[in-house]
Amino acid sequence: MTVPWSGNRIPWTLMVFLAALWVPWLGSRYDTFLGTQIAIDALFAVSLNLLLGTTGLVSFGHVAYFGIGAYICGILMKTYGVPFALALPAAWLGAAGFALVFGFFCVRLTKIYFAMLTLAFSQIAWAICFKWNGVTGGDQGLPDVPYPDLDWMSALPGLDGLRVSDRFYLLTLALVAVSLAALRRIIGSPFGRMLTAIRENPERAAFIGVNVRRYELAAFVVAGGFAGLAGALFGIFNRGVFADYLYWTKSAEVMIMAILGGMEHFWGPVVGAATLVMLNQQITSYTEYWPFVLGVILLVLLFAFPGGIVGGLVAGVNWLRRRGGGRQSA
Amino acid sequence: MRRMGALVVACAAAALAPWGAAAESTIRIGFPMPLSGPAAVYGVPVTKGAELAVADINAQGGVLGRKLELLERDSKANADEAVRLSRELILKNNADFLIGTLTSSEAPAVSTIAKENKIVFIAPTAKTIQLTGPANLHPYIFRLASNTDIEGRTGATLVARWKDVKRVATIAPDYAYGRDAVAAFIDFIKKARPDIEIVDQQWPKLGQSDFTPFINAQMGKRPDAVFCDVYGGDFVTLAKQAGPLGYFKAINYRLADGGEVGSVDEARALGADYPFGLWSDAYDPVVWSGDEPPEHKAFVEHLRAFTKDPYGSGWAIMGYSAVEALAAGMKKAGSTDSDKVSKALLGLTFDTPVGKRTFNTATHETDSGEFWGEMVKDEHYPFAIMKEPKYLAQGPLTN
Repeated sequence: MTVPWSGNRIPWTLMVFLAALWVPWLGSRYDTFLGTQIAIDALFAVSLNLLLGTTGLVSFGHVAYFGIGAYICGILMKTYGVPFALALPAAWLGAAGFALVFGFFCVRLTKIYFAMLTLAFSQIAWAICFKWNGVTGGDQGLPDVPYPDLDWMSALPGLDGLRVSDRFYLLTLALVAVSLAALRRIIGSPFGRMLTAIRENPERAAFIGVNVRRYELAAFVVAGGFAGLAGALFGIFNRGVFADYLYWTKSAEVMIMAILGGMEHFWGPVVGAATLVMLNQQITSYTEYWPFVLGVILLVLLFAFPGGIVGGLVAGVNWLRRRGGGRQSA
Repeated sequence: MRRMGALVVACAAAALAPWGAAAESTIRIGFPMPLSGPAAVYGVPVTKGAELAVADINAQGGVLGRKLELLERDSKANADEAVRLSRELILKNNADFLIGTLTSSEAPAVSTIAKENKIVFIAPTAKTIQLTGPANLHPYIFRLASNTDIEGRTGATLVARWKDVKRVATIAPDYAYGRDAVAAFIDFIKKARPDIEIVDQQWPKLGQSDFTPFINAQMGKRPDAVFCDVYGGDFVTLAKQAGPLGYFKAINYRLADGGEVGSVDEARALGADYPFGLWSDAYDPVVWSGDEPPEHKAFVEHLRAFTKDPYGSGWAIMGYSAVEALAAGMKKAGSTDSDKVSKALLGLTFDTPVGKRTFNTATHETDSGEFWGEMVKDEHYPFAIMKEPKYLAQGPLTN
């Protein structure tokens, strides 16, 4: 984001949304599932990157808000029959609320202590979900979360004959696109600039009168809210909510997505999410030694592109442009 | 950079490689199972058992003239990965049926996907009662394993036979599996032996590294016998810590463990550290001292040759029998259509190496019990073996 190039003027969110819209018609049923998973993971990874890339806060417990959102939405929809239109905002607010409480303590610490405390809170959230049999279903989870009622979609032209999973894909895509656009605005706003200033030099930001903790907490809450939204969509997509969603390994996974794609760029985590989902599904189809293969591929990618995939691409484009420009001036 | 390009192209080519390579005529069984991480200790032997059954059936010409094909995938003991794999297996790899899953979250998660896609799903090992509970039962789900109710009841049947026992304690992992099994145990022991008093209950967490405080607290209550549901690696830790404290000796080895610590796998993990003399269960004792059924003897020899393992595993039989049950269902239905096979499986009796099992028409379960016996030292083996395994079903006081 620090390197301005003309690409910033292109409405990428809209373009990606319009391109991805065609998956149910052009791809197979399985491709639609894959697309839904990528869209949800992309939102999750971008929400983490608001902390990681923009504010410079390394959170190892971001999965907590994802899981809390999933449980709130799943419990409301399955246990209480609340419609999706209410359950989704509830998941969002609930996750943001927990982020406010946990974040209040976390932002009091810095660096590795901050990271450890976020991890501790996420493991507490996991342990509660794993044990609270009466509400969360404990280790057996909450299977059979219903799809939202999407019959209204058949009133729209062209969406008549679609399956419920295809309709849910379109809904997810639209919600993720709106969320990404909102996050993009937030990062580009004076508030977002202030977060970047905090990342670059928190002491200096404090000296010019910025309440660093309050800004960090605000970023934590916004990121938690969008993670909760992603979690709510994931619970419905997977047709169930399970304590596995909150386990720390998932925090590591989303962090790999952000770093792999490039955490210095807004679209980096999106590319990282798509890459990791595709890699995972290809490798697990061929070998049970997937951790080894995935590890080697990640190692090579990270060494070849230290700025992530998007970082590497941007560097390449800039290099080509400089070369082109050099010739013109010669 | 150029090499990177080649790698990316190779990955893309792999991504686009068509799946049609397998012969069209095979019957495909999707098999999501933990094959990596700690749960692989159970997942791998179950998979080997299924492979053995597929090899056996194919050697005899397959089912309905078609060969079986097992599509094994690593579920990573993770509910969302199991869901993703099940969708991939059904939609992309055209799996006709699903067998698999191990943990208590994977099985209900995959069950929902089986229902959505109208594909028969047989869970070989999952014990959670919720899987086939009235709220989650649907025509396509079947369970081969016993469940936590049966586990608690068979444990109670055994403890009830110890006539001089009056004070009983329980120790089990603090999550649904342990809680459900202990609840069933207490419910049943109170019916079978009203004179027995529950004097203590301990709930260590899953993956507990120090059992000492739980053991000391329990010994302080002076129980005559213990119902235990700690299993796997946790039981190894418990046994090693409880032995020096004199725990087993204090209860005169009257400990009934319902968590398959009578399996040859667990016995091998503990070796000479096994608390010889306690009582436990196994799906298949593998090493059978006493009157071994000839079918079992043949199966175990076959398994040992197939896996090149000198002793075998008590879990392989679950994968083996699940495939055999499905094959029997297809033969009865005369079809590989899941709607027809699911109807055929109801009430179907099929052979396993340890006797016949039947899918209950109401619960879709086999109501399978387990083999219980005293774990003793044997000069022929470097680990504990089950003395005269006895098949215990739900006991005389069924619901």
